[in-house]
Amino acid sequence: MADSDAEYDGEGPDEDDVMEVSDGGRRAMASRPKERAQARWEATASSNWELQEAADGSIEGILGGLEEAGKRKRLLKDTTPLQRGIIRHTLLVLDLSSAMLEKDLRPTRHLLTINYTIMFVREYFEQNPISQLGIFGMREGLAIRISDMSGNPNDHIAALKQLRSTEPKGNPSLQNALDMARAALYHTPSHGTREVVIVLGALLSSDPGDIHDTIKACIRDRIRVRIIGLAAQMHICAEICRKTNGGDENYYNVAVDEVDYRQQLMDITTPPVLRSTDTEAQKHNQAALLMMGFPSRIVEEKPTLCACHGNLTRGGYLCSRCKAKVCNLPATCPTCDLTLILSTHLARSYHHLFPLRNWVEVSWTRARQEGSIQCFGCLTPFPRIPNPQEAVNGTEHDVASARTKRAEGASESSRYECETCGQHFCIDCDVFCHEVVHNCPGCQSNAHLPGNQNGHDAG
Amino acid sequence: MNAIDATDRAVAEQDIEPPSLLTIIIDTNPHAWALLDDTLPLTKAVASLLVFINAHLAINYTNQVAVIASHSERAEWLYPTDVHPDNVQSNGALANGRDYEDLMDRGGPVQPPDDANKYRPFAQLEHTLMYNLRKMMNTTTTDAINSSPATMLAGALTRALAYISKQTASLPTATSSTQFNYSDPSAMAGGNELTTDPTKSANALGLSSRILIVSVSGDLADRYIEIMNCIFACQRMSVPIDVLKLAGDPVFLQQAADTTGGIYMSLSTSTARAGLLQYLMFAYLMDQTARNHLIAPGEGEGVDFRAACFCHKRVVDIGFVCSICLSIFCEPLPDGTCLLCGSHLSMTNYGRKPVVVPKKKVKKKKRPTESGTDTPASGAGTPMPG
Repeated sequence: MADSDAEYDGEGPDEDDVMEVSDGGRRAMASRPKERAQARWEATASSNWELQEAADGSIEGILGGLEEAGKRKRLLKDTTPLQRGIIRHTLLVLDLSSAMLEKDLRPTRHLLTINYTIMFVREYFEQNPISQLGIFGMREGLAIRISDMSGNPNDHIAALKQLRSTEPKGNPSLQNALDMARAALYHTPSHGTREVVIVLGALLSSDPGDIHDTIKACIRDRIRVRIIGLAAQMHICAEICRKTNGGDENYYNVAVDEVDYRQQLMDITTPPVLRSTDTEAQKHNQAALLMMGFPSRIVEEKPTLCACHGNLTRGGYLCSRCKAKVCNLPATCPTCDLTLILSTHLARSYHHLFPLRNWVEVSWTRARQEGSIQCFGCLTPFPRIPNPQEAVNGTEHDVASARTKRAEGASESSRYECETCGQHFCIDCDVFCHEVVHNCPGCQSNAHLPGNQNGHDAG
Repeated sequence: MNAIDATDRAVAEQDIEPPSLLTIIIDTNPHAWALLDDTLPLTKAVASLLVFINAHLAINYTNQVAVIASHSERAEWLYPTDVHPDNVQSNGALANGRDYEDLMDRGGPVQPPDDANKYRPFAQLEHTLMYNLRKMMNTTTTDAINSSPATMLAGALTRALAYISKQTASLPTATSSTQFNYSDPSAMAGGNELTTDPTKSANALGLSSRILIVSVSGDLADRYIEIMNCIFACQRMSVPIDVLKLAGDPVFLQQAADTTGGIYMSLSTSTARAGLLQYLMFAYLMDQTARNHLIAPGEGEGVDFRAACFCHKRVVDIGFVCSICLSIFCEPLPDGTCLLCGSHLSMTNYGRKPVVVPKKKVKKKKRPTESGTDTPASGAGTPMPG
């Protein structure tokens, strides 16, 4: 961190120890760092120390509870189905200035950024298969084009790999980058989002004109800017992000370490929530019903030319309308201009739109009422239900009462209930179903649900 | 040279086959099996499957099996046995869960008769599976069969995946670096490296799992999103879905097998169905490690990638997609309102005639030479060059 010294003077002398404990915490950057009460990594570290002092008896139970609570905490998010910008147009702007030669992120900021960006590109298209991405660079005061807007991850990755051999040089210019991004996003259709993601390693921006005019132009063009800083917070970056995101300050963050950097980059792959101002703008511009083709794959005896690249390929996909052969999907048919995609591409985004409802913690009373003894998903036995007398007396020697004192968010009976189907699950299935499958095993396994059926049939 | 040296031993140790978990989902939809009854009754199919499962268990003593029935109105475990809360409450001992864990140690609540002539795991599995299957068939009411002609494949897949994820996580030999750790904060928020590098064999050291779906039902379109979610989860966990289709429309399962790298085969004729065991043994028995060295059947064929529309559940190859919720419709919406999210949609470029460049300019050039009467406002007095 280049300019952390000024802050460091104000803090206590024992900060060194705490700093090493901090892992993956992120500093939510307000526009003035002095005003924030406590950074998140400070909070994590202090609570860790307290835990070790407090744990005098059975440390295992408390730690287990904390672990479950931590898992739940990550899991419990707002499951209101929000309108998200599924069709995205994103421009990634990489800093290629001499500040990227710094070695505070291993091996260097430059190489780490390229590696992470390659991962980002793959994950971006995994999560947003019908979106477009373009990559720019900032170098020697200019914005340079690394790859054009396209929906093919391989184009971007090839361009990024070539970037490895080049040396970062000169100063970055945020204004030039934003202007070029604005021009590149100008023609994109109104039903998609327009996003610019800037990775900035330098602590300066050498601009040819007034950047505030550019910010105003970005707001006018509905462009949303996110910036990930690699060194320290800059006022102008905070201002750009706040103004282009309707006053929201969460879009500018500084990466603490490598893990945090990757986490922040990967967070961008989730489609952004649309704000009501955007919806009004969309009403103005009309959401569209798009005609798309779902071609089937064919395999041919002899290689033939594909219509998109003119390469000899054996097999590919035939356009549903004009039967031209394209070699890769998603693509736009070069002959009839029909958007060709796999239905699996569309289906990949559904869980963003129809999220699985959160499961609730189960009290011992409820567990006894249901009499559940194993997880409905994975058949793992639950801890046994204590007898009613024991629970009423509340004796401390009971196994169950030790579990009752568990951390906030963890269920006392280690059971989690889906409110739609009323089945009980273990913490692992809870996490797994919400993060990976996005289905409830109970709701899907029973055609006649006791509760309301709408929650899942809508999906 | 001495043949016994350190390098030879190191190589030999790597050859230990990883344990493999085979999860079989049997589609027990009574409607579909009734149609197949004259060529391949369910009992025969289950008998073939049992031989196949025994073969899988015999290959490696660490191999595991799970069997799920995707019935007409519910998805049920056949092996290992699921314990219903209803059954438990009638039995006072189990309500406290005291004897339950003992039971699980002995292989579940269903105990096979002692038979000295049979390998115990085989006997246990066979007895449990048949017992549970019979129980499920006996508890199926005619109302349930009449009300739902489909099968609960999405539920069966979700339960199978939950089980696989738990087994993979609990296996002690699995190193944390080779498996997808979704609860690790340092892992990526929306994904992991496994999905980004398909060539890497993910579960090289841990439990390698696969799912085999024996499918007879055709219509799966009503659970489209849920099945798709399962397929992506499989892809993420690198669990291949093998599909053996005995009857019905193949669309989604073929996509599932293709997306996850599994094997798809369709036995559409009665002669092919008669050789069910042979197909199972030759095409589906090898695990993921062995598949790297073999040519799997069905690779050189095209795949049907059509989608189901949300309005009529028709399978379409050209559809109309709402830009907000990505729902697929088979025809342009009459009032321009999306049926799912209710947003007002405008049709772009549909039914519109292609724009042709007007020939006006040519006319203009000719106009001075002819009579300029039809356009009086266009400055008749202006001299045109040339």
